[in-house]
Amino acid sequence: MHLLRTNILLRTILICLLLLVLNGCWDRVEINDLAIVMGIGLDKTEEGDIELSVQIANPKAMAGSGSSGGQSSGNPIVVETVTGRTIFDARSKLQESLSRQLFEGHNRVIFISKALAEEGIQKHIDFFARFPSPRLRANIFIVDSKVIDILKVPSDFELNSSEVARELAKLKIGMNITTKDLLEQLANESSSIALPSITVEDKPVGTKGLRVNGSAIIKENKMVGEIDNALSRGVLWLRDEIKLSSVTLEPENTEGYISFKLLRSSTDLSPTIKNGKWKMVVNITTEDDVVENETNLDVLDPKITDKLEKQLEQKVTERIQKTLDYVQKEIGADVFGFGEAFYRKFPKQWNKEKDMWAEKFPELEVEINCKAYIRRPGRSNIPQGTQKEEGVKK
Amino acid sequence: MLEKGKISALQMTVLLYPTITATAILVLPATTGNFAKQDMWLSPIWASIFGYLSVFIAYLLHHYYPQKTLIQFSEKIVGVIPGKLISFGFLFFLLHTNGLNLRDYGEFVIGNFLPKTPMIVIILSMAFVCAITVYGGLEVMARASQFFFPVFVVLFLFIIILLVPVLNPENIFPILGEGLTPSLKGALIPSQWFNEFILISFFLPYLNRNGKGLKWGIIAVTLVMITLVISNLFSLLLFGDLTPFFTYPFMDAARYISIADFLQHVESIIMALWVTGMFIKISVFYYAVVIGVAQWLDLTNYRPIVFPIGFLLVVVSIWSTPSLQKLIDFSGTTWPFYAFLFQMLIPISLLFIAIIRKKRSK
Repeated sequence: MHLLRTNILLRTILICLLLLVLNGCWDRVEINDLAIVMGIGLDKTEEGDIELSVQIANPKAMAGSGSSGGQSSGNPIVVETVTGRTIFDARSKLQESLSRQLFEGHNRVIFISKALAEEGIQKHIDFFARFPSPRLRANIFIVDSKVIDILKVPSDFELNSSEVARELAKLKIGMNITTKDLLEQLANESSSIALPSITVEDKPVGTKGLRVNGSAIIKENKMVGEIDNALSRGVLWLRDEIKLSSVTLEPENTEGYISFKLLRSSTDLSPTIKNGKWKMVVNITTEDDVVENETNLDVLDPKITDKLEKQLEQKVTERIQKTLDYVQKEIGADVFGFGEAFYRKFPKQWNKEKDMWAEKFPELEVEINCKAYIRRPGRSNIPQGTQKEEGVKK
Repeated sequence: MLEKGKISALQMTVLLYPTITATAILVLPATTGNFAKQDMWLSPIWASIFGYLSVFIAYLLHHYYPQKTLIQFSEKIVGVIPGKLISFGFLFFLLHTNGLNLRDYGEFVIGNFLPKTPMIVIILSMAFVCAITVYGGLEVMARASQFFFPVFVVLFLFIIILLVPVLNPENIFPILGEGLTPSLKGALIPSQWFNEFILISFFLPYLNRNGKGLKWGIIAVTLVMITLVISNLFSLLLFGDLTPFFTYPFMDAARYISIADFLQHVESIIMALWVTGMFIKISVFYYAVVIGVAQWLDLTNYRPIVFPIGFLLVVVSIWSTPSLQKLIDFSGTTWPFYAFLFQMLIPISLLFIAIIRKKRSK
């Protein structure tokens, strides 16, 4: 009995001793030894090297701003920049001047300068899919100025400008592309990708802010063109990624405008091959609400609504056609996933002709069938402030 | 008899399930994706045929020689000397494969989580835990896996459910766009993982109620197949053509999870999944080697050789490959044929000889 008890005691002590070695000593890193990278910027120098800029969170200032009611004890971000042959080379040089270890595990945004994107981006993205800490969910942006300017911009609502950029992408005003999406497109030689472009703008109160500034078209790994926000919207329509959109019409036989807000929309790409002729049919169904009515039209009247729906359809088709005219016909970049749609439906024909796709794509016939539904008139029916009889106009 | 413990058929299933799934879950999407592209989710289905075949062969052999494992009945079937030779080859194969499993485990942990920890520490600690389990015997091992199996499944489902919002269902098309060939090619390597089900031969003699072995063996193969189809399908729907570019696609898939900006960075779950699964996998192989060697040498007790074999195991895992590149190359080129010889050809020839002998003796 006595022996058993000492045995148990011994075992307990042994088990407790085990705890000492269970905490993984070699790879232990304390959080206050980490420099948490919030945004990464890639630029090129004149000598052709990589200029890496990082935005690092400054936890001291972040903690200060919370407790002392807005009075931050220093800048909430630290921006550093350094040049090197590769990203990691630059990163190692940067580490020489930092008292904390760089950690990219929380990095959510990668800014790439236009100058670098025009030379090719594929080789620079590899680091983000190979090095252990970065995440494939980081958003990618193209910047038309120096990247470091974006990182330096102080932000109003968010903690830093990288977070602002990411939230802007999340709102789906422009494209929302993650590292994974970019890698997927780069791996597919027949398709191109539109990356959101972001720029620094002066705000009315004298500070600076960020703005989504259309998209950059990347074709065969190189940036080949830029499109503005309106055309980017067309790309979003075609890719079935549109979330936020407003359409303003000027109806016939009356003065003023009517604005609609997009509720939901779905785009269906259905490719056809008839007698060797390739054609893409785009079917769009969109539901909108009236949100502003400047005219004297009675939007409660089904006949008027029918007419408005027709005009709405026309307007959407027009917008998409504009995007196609430029991106498809002029640049010849398949950012819409048309090639993929053909591959999915006609894998055999696609494999035979995929080498010809670059020549085929700009000449591809695209038919847009848009169906719009105006579901409800909003909180008011006839225009506010007009008289009932006057308002009813056919 | 060497092993006095008895396990239930269900316990056998929970032992075998992680044995195959643990490694396959992480690496399979890349290996099959290389050949099968968007048909990669079909490959485990084709590959599972070999799993069913293995279970069936093992069951028939068990039927002819009840109470005996592969090591013992091979002597009965082809004679003492050839039998010993075959068994030696088989045991060497198991030890080597288990060494590779252990190395696989170490490579993953170091490559993704603990880059500065020496390999030997990670491998030794795992080998030590497995050694204690094997020392405890079959019942202890079965109870441990009965305990870990639900953890494994729940964690797996957790990852799968969180991945749903980021999937792109279109990635699955065109189904069989280039015919059956790509998905069959993709099934080649996993078919040898399914053949590891021949290990069932080491458990069938110790079932507490005979007769249920075949049914639960088939259930185990089906569960593994379903799990692998899901992990392949989800990697495909998330990454599309990008899947084969990753070393551990399922790991990168888990890293991609971000729900409402706060439920993210859940890759440690994959680590937990991997450690529990690998623990059972290595233990099962380890147990088969230990019990096999004891039977091969006609020992009366297998416990004294548990730790020496564990030492061999660690040595094999350290020395068998210098880098992950060589390990992947070996498991993709040499290993499938090597495994096919021991897991398929030898058991099936033993079965044929056994059938012929039984017919003659009648």
